[in-house]
Amino acid sequence: MHTVKVMFFATLRDYVGAKSVELEIPVQTTILGLTELLIKRYPGLEKVKDSMMAAINREYAANEQVIPEKAEIAFFPPVSGG
Amino acid sequence: MEYPTVISLNESELDLDALLAQITLPTTGACAIFTGMVRGQTLRGDAHDTAYLEYEGYQPMAESKMRQVAEEIRQKWPSIEGIAIVQRIGRLYPGTPTTLIACTAAHRNTGVFEAAHYGIDRLKEIVPVWKKEIGSQGEEWVEGNYHPKPGE
Repeated sequence: MHTVKVMFFATLRDYVGAKSVELEIPVQTTILGLTELLIKRYPGLEKVKDSMMAAINREYAANEQVIPEKAEIAFFPPVSGG
Repeated sequence: MEYPTVISLNESELDLDALLAQITLPTTGACAIFTGMVRGQTLRGDAHDTAYLEYEGYQPMAESKMRQVAEEIRQKWPSIEGIAIVQRIGRLYPGTPTTLIACTAAHRNTGVFEAAHYGIDRLKEIVPVWKKEIGSQGEEWVEGNYHPKPGE
C-alpha cells in the first residue's frame, strides 16, 4: 500500500465535498482502479465518471496508467478557462 | 537570443502596457493581442444574463500547460519573438478582461495573428482552469468539451 494525495476541482470538488483527500492505495493501482475506489467512497462521482479527467504529477493521464509512489493526483471536468 | 515568455495566472488586473513592454524587443514591430472578457448578456443560443464569473485553476499544472502552449506556438511559428499568456482567476464581472494572449514579431505578416488565435484555442483545451457562471437563474459550472490525450 502507499499513500497518495488526490485533488478535486470544480464540479468534482462539489460532489466529493473536499478539495483534496489522502488515500491508501495498493501498489500498481491504475487511474481506473482509483476512479472505482473513489466512486465507492463518493457515489456522487458516478454520474460524471465518463467525462472526468485525471492528471498524475500535473500531466494528463490515461485510465490504464499505474500511479507511482508519492504521486500528486488530480481529477477534474473538461477545462473551461479563457 | 532568449525570447521572452510571460505566463500569469492570478487575481491581478491586466496591465496591457506592462505586458507589452515585457514582450517587445528592439527587433519587434508587430503584436497581435487576443483578449476575452466576461460577457454580461449572451444572445447566441441559450440567451441569458451573467452577473459574474468565478474562476479557479489547478495552479501548478495550469502554469505548466500555459508554458506548453507558448512552446507549441514557438514550434509552429519560429518568427514569434515574445509571448504573453494571462489567465485571471477569482470573481470577475461583465466587461472585465479575463484572459489575454499576445504574440510579437518583427512584422505583422509573419504569423502573429495565427499564433495568438492558436494560443487562445489551446488555452481553452488544455489549461486546467474552470469557471462558474452566476446569474439570475442561479449558479452553474461551465464545462468544456475537449479531452486531452495522455501527456498532451
